Amino acid sequence: MRAFLAGARAQLRFMTAYPDSLIPFFTAPLFTIVFMLVFKHAGRQDLTAYAAIAPVFIALWWLALFNSGWTITIERWNGTLEMLVASPSSFGAVVFGKIAATTAVGTVSFFEAWLVARLVFGTAVSIHHWGAFLLTVLATLGAMAGTAVGMAALFVLARNAVTFSNSASYPFYVLGGILVPVSLLPHWVRPLSDVVFLSWSADLLRATLRPAPIHRLWPHVGMVALLGACGYAVGLAALRVILVRVRKSGELSTT
Amino acid sequence: MTVRQSIAMEAGSAVEVRKLGRMFTPRKREPVVALEGISLTIPAGEVHGMLGPNGAGKTTLVKILSTVLLPTSGTARVLGHDVVEETRAVRPVIGIVFGGERGLYTRLTARQNLEYWGALYRLPSALIKQRSADLLARVGLVDRADQRVEEFSRGMKQRLHLARGLMGDAKVLFLDEPTTGMDPIAGREFRNLITELKDEGRTILLTTHDMVEAESVCDRVTLIDHGRVLATETPRTLGTLISRFQRIDVTGAPAALLAEVAALPGVSSTTPQEDGSTRIEVSEEGATAVVLRRLVDGGVTDLQTSLPSLEEVYLQTIGERGLGV
Repeated sequence: MRAFLAGARAQLRFMTAYPDSLIPFFTAPLFTIVFMLVFKHAGRQDLTAYAAIAPVFIALWWLALFNSGWTITIERWNGTLEMLVASPSSFGAVVFGKIAATTAVGTVSFFEAWLVARLVFGTAVSIHHWGAFLLTVLATLGAMAGTAVGMAALFVLARNAVTFSNSASYPFYVLGGILVPVSLLPHWVRPLSDVVFLSWSADLLRATLRPAPIHRLWPHVGMVALLGACGYAVGLAALRVILVRVRKSGELSTT
Repeated sequence: MTVRQSIAMEAGSAVEVRKLGRMFTPRKREPVVALEGISLTIPAGEVHGMLGPNGAGKTTLVKILSTVLLPTSGTARVLGHDVVEETRAVRPVIGIVFGGERGLYTRLTARQNLEYWGALYRLPSALIKQRSADLLARVGLVDRADQRVEEFSRGMKQRLHLARGLMGDAKVLFLDEPTTGMDPIAGREFRNLITELKDEGRTILLTTHDMVEAESVCDRVTLIDHGRVLATETPRTLGTLISRFQRIDVTGAPAALLAEVAALPGVSSTTPQEDGSTRIEVSEEGATAVVLRRLVDGGVTDLQTSLPSLEEVYLQTIGERGLGV
C-alpha cells in the first residue's frame, strides 16, 4: 500500500511538473464538439449519451495508457528506472499507484465534456442512477489502472514506450465500443470486445444516463472489476517475468 | 539502532563476491565478457575503491550488487544476502549513487526527490520529512531545497544523488563514479562526505577513475581490467607491489657516472628532467640499492627516491591503453 501511495503522490507532482501528460484535458472538449455535431446533423439525438461518454473514455484511457508508457520512458530518460527497480518497493505497485492517480484526476474530463455539451449544444447530460454511476466510475478507474499495469510490463520491453502506448490506445476504443456500439462491429470481433472491460464500462455508464432501469447492474460491474483485476494480476506477473528477463539481458535501462 | 551498531551486529563481510561472471550477448554481435570470475571481499565499514578503465567491469559489478543485473555465473552477497535469490533483503540495506547528470527527477525540487525516494524505502511520513531535511543540510543544499533540480549545477546534483542514496539509511553504499565532472572543490567536499559516512560505519564501494580520490578515501583498492581483478591492496601496499619501478631523481651527477649507472642491471632508463636533474627508473627488485650505492660512491649527495603514486600503479598495471576501451 505504501508503494501504491508513494507512486500516486509522486504522479500528482509529476503531472504539474510535466504538463504534457495533461493533453486529454484539452482534447476532451474538442472530441465532445465533434461527436455532438456528427450525431446532431445525423438527426440522432438519441445517441447523445454516446457523444457525452466517448470523450471521457478517450481521455481516461489515454491518460492511463500514455502514463504507463510515459512512466517507463521518463524513468529511463531520468536514469531512475534501475534505481526504482532496486528500491524495496514493488515496481508494479508503484506503477499502479501512478496510473491510478492519473486516471482519478482524469475524471475532470466528465465535467469538461458535459459542460461543453451544455454550453455549446444546450444539451444537458443528466445522471439518472447516481449510485450505479459512481460504482461504475470507481470500477472503471480501477480496471483502467490495473490493465495499464499490464501494458506497462510490455512497455518495459519496448525501446520507445510512448509511441507504443499512443498507438495501443486505438484498438481499445474500437473494441470497447465507446463511440460505435459493439453491436455494429463484425461478428467475429464481438468475442474480443467481451474481454475488454471498456465495453462493459461504456454500456453501464450510458445506461446510468437513461431513465430506464439498469438491468444486471451487479454482474456488469463485477465484469468490469474482474477484467480489471485480471489485467492487474497478469500485468504484475508479466512485470515480474519481464524484469527478470531484462535483468538477465542487461537491457533494463536501455531497451 | 544506529548504523554503526547494526553493522557491528553483522557477522562476516559486507560484500562477498565469489567467481562472479557476467557476459553480455548483444544482438547480431559477438558476446562480451564484462566480468570474468572475479572474487572480492569487502569487510563491513571499509571504503573500497574499484579502479579501472572504461569497460573494465566496474559498473557491471555495481549493477549486480544492487540487484538490477543478474550474473551469468558465481555468487554475490551483500550483508550475507544473495543478490539474486534474496533481493527483498538486499534492497532495503543498500544505497546506489550513480555519477553524471542522470538519476534524479529534474523537474521536481530537491526535497520532493528525497521525499519520493523516502516513500519508496517505505519510511513513515514524519521520518521522511525529518531525514530529507537532515540530508539536505548535510550535503549543503538546504537553501536550494525547494528549487527544481534542473537548475542545479553538476556538483549540486551529485550531492543530491548522495543524499538520495542515503534516504534509506543504507548500510552499504555503491558509489559509481560519483565525482565525474565535478570541479576540484566540489570533489574535495564530496570526499569529505565519504569520510564522514565511513566514520558512521557504513561500507562503501566506490568506483572511480580518480587516483587522488581513491588514494585519499579508500581503505583498500581493487584494480580491475577486462573483467578481471588484477590486485586488491591498500593504496600504499599497491604502490609497493611495483616498487621495482621505483624512481631515483639525481641532481649534479657527472655524465660519465650516469652512463655507468644506465648500464647497471635492472636500470631501465635515465631521463633528463626540465629542472636539470635526471630521473633513473629501475625495473628489477633490488636494483635501487645497487644504483644508490654506486651514486653515493660516485660522490652524488643530492638524490631522492620515491614510490610510484597510485596513478602510476594504475598505468603500470593496466598498461597505457590510451583511449582504447
